[in-house]
Amino acid sequence: MLEIKNLHANVNGKEILKGIDLTVEAGTVHAIMGPNGSGKSTLSYVLAGREGYEVTQGSVTYKGRDLLAMNVDERAAAGVFLAFQYPIEIPGVTTMTFLKTALNAQRKARGEDELDAPRFLKLVREKSKPLNVSDDMLKRALNVGFSGGEKKRAEILQMALLEPSLAILDETDSGLDIDALKVVAEGVNSLRSPERAMIVITHYQRLLDHIVPDVVHVLSKGRIVRTGGKELAGELERTGYAEFAA
Amino acid sequence: MTDAARNFIETYERERAALPGAGLAWLAACRADALKAFAEAGLPHRRLEDWRYTDLARALEKATLSPAPQPQGAVALPDAAARPSIAAFHGIDRHVAVFVNGRLQSDLALELPHGVTLVPLAEALGEPWVRQLVETKVATQAGNVIALNTALMRDGLGLHVARGVKLDKPLHLIFLATDDGASHVRVLVRLEEGAEATIFETHVDAGARSYFVDQVTDVSLAEGATLAHVKIQDEGAEAIHLASLTAVLGAAAKLSSFSLTLGAKLSRSQSFVTFKGEGGEAHVNGATALAGSQHGDHFCMMDHAVPQCASSTLFKTVLDGASTGVFQGNVMVRPDAQKADGRQMSNALLLSRDASMNAKPELEIYADDVQCAHGSTIGELNRDAIFFLRARGIDEHTARQLLISAFLDESFETVPHEAAREDLRALAAGWFERHQEKTS
Repeated sequence: MLEIKNLHANVNGKEILKGIDLTVEAGTVHAIMGPNGSGKSTLSYVLAGREGYEVTQGSVTYKGRDLLAMNVDERAAAGVFLAFQYPIEIPGVTTMTFLKTALNAQRKARGEDELDAPRFLKLVREKSKPLNVSDDMLKRALNVGFSGGEKKRAEILQMALLEPSLAILDETDSGLDIDALKVVAEGVNSLRSPERAMIVITHYQRLLDHIVPDVVHVLSKGRIVRTGGKELAGELERTGYAEFAA
Repeated sequence: MTDAARNFIETYERERAALPGAGLAWLAACRADALKAFAEAGLPHRRLEDWRYTDLARALEKATLSPAPQPQGAVALPDAAARPSIAAFHGIDRHVAVFVNGRLQSDLALELPHGVTLVPLAEALGEPWVRQLVETKVATQAGNVIALNTALMRDGLGLHVARGVKLDKPLHLIFLATDDGASHVRVLVRLEEGAEATIFETHVDAGARSYFVDQVTDVSLAEGATLAHVKIQDEGAEAIHLASLTAVLGAAAKLSSFSLTLGAKLSRSQSFVTFKGEGGEAHVNGATALAGSQHGDHFCMMDHAVPQCASSTLFKTVLDGASTGVFQGNVMVRPDAQKADGRQMSNALLLSRDASMNAKPELEIYADDVQCAHGSTIGELNRDAIFFLRARGIDEHTARQLLISAFLDESFETVPHEAAREDLRALAAGWFERHQEKTS
């Protein structure tokens, strides 16, 4: 699904990623853990194609295509989804309008027909229910005045609706209390499938108790310094990142 | 004195005997006073505080200022695909009156409810309520160029709605320009106690190039009367559009005025609202989208002369190319106007490095128990928001359009007529589409 080779990237002229190698197969969930400043969020933004994140070396192949040659919305339409650590507020655009525009833009880019209002509404209701996303939330401007939990639930709803092949969850647990975390984790787990890969980026083990990964990587100073099974997360929780810190 | 000012004075000298209401002594005196006031003040220039950002005198130097002619033959309407403004409000059941080159073309034989009087300006000038509306204002109207209109007003109409009567459908005034020249239009509106009316206005060019529209709308609302006013200004690329709205509100009267500004090389839209009775409410709002070297100025004066009145002003401005936007607002709360509620906001979105916005919201408060707030923002499209939308598969063009529409939408929300609101939204979205085609 995804093959990252010797990836180097700069932000504001400073090298943050210093040679990442990572292969993610369909049907697997990879966790990337690491201390603050290790490059976790940078990796997620590079994969999504954000401006200001300059790749200086290496390659990223997604489903056999050169991901780095695709622009942001092409990547999304091709099935790459980034759940933001800090979802952006979009005043004046209701969540419903946004969801419909996004879904239909992706369908159009893939050569599928656009969903009409009734079909779309039915689909949104169906996907919203397990995530406790109310009609009221759908009518409000996207993320504006949403609580931390609402923002993250809205992100997972977008993911459920857009059905990406590769989902990158950037610190999805930040700002969540335990109940909200469970709702979000259940939402993510229900999307696990043999055709879909996930990269879960997190600082803490807590999230990984609920979204159990197949592989855990430790990112430090822009490199993956250790890779192991799900038990590695527990080990890090006990020992901390001291041995990997700067 | 500028050539343009001299030109207007000569027009007056030459044509005053032929102007409507020429036989009325009060009017002749009024026009003469107005002309004198105009001649003394001259055309506004940027050394005047109220005209700091808009040089009307200079803009008029190059305009064709001889009186715009009575149109000859049938008017060829612009293609609605190219100028969608021409089709705005057409889906709404309404009364229509058409002006071409500032001359009324409709016979006004409309099926109006009992108690509603709609007459051409020449006839309206014979009404006592019109005299009161026009005559009392001349002294203060030199600096804001309304005096020029009073001296030269050539056509227009008067709408009178009797006590407790509701104008059954919106009255849609369509102003088309087929020939170059100056037009001076006066619209006079009096709503008696508890009366209600909605007025739509559309201004579109239909063949004219260099022309000057000078329109004054005087509104007088008696106790509990309600007027909704929705205007689309989509004049031609070389046009100069000057519109003034004066409104006097009696107790518990309500005025809502909205203007969508898309056209003209230079436009100035000024509103002067005075509260004369307690419990009045006035909302003057607008949305503006300009490009190229267009210049759009909104000037709004809210005069809280009595207690317990509420006013709000919200202007949203989108500027591309090297266009210029202006917002000047003043909320005056006089010593007796306790419990006044005054709000004023200007938000501008600059789509280009060469666009510029001038905002000057002012509060002048002489009472101590009031609630007033004002603010102004000038910004760019949020790059993070564009990235977020694109990361969900929305292409950049659509993302920008979505954000621009969202930016303007808050102002459209203030339009009380739902179908009109939808037409305005569609026009704004269409502006972006057409505009992008032009630039890309």
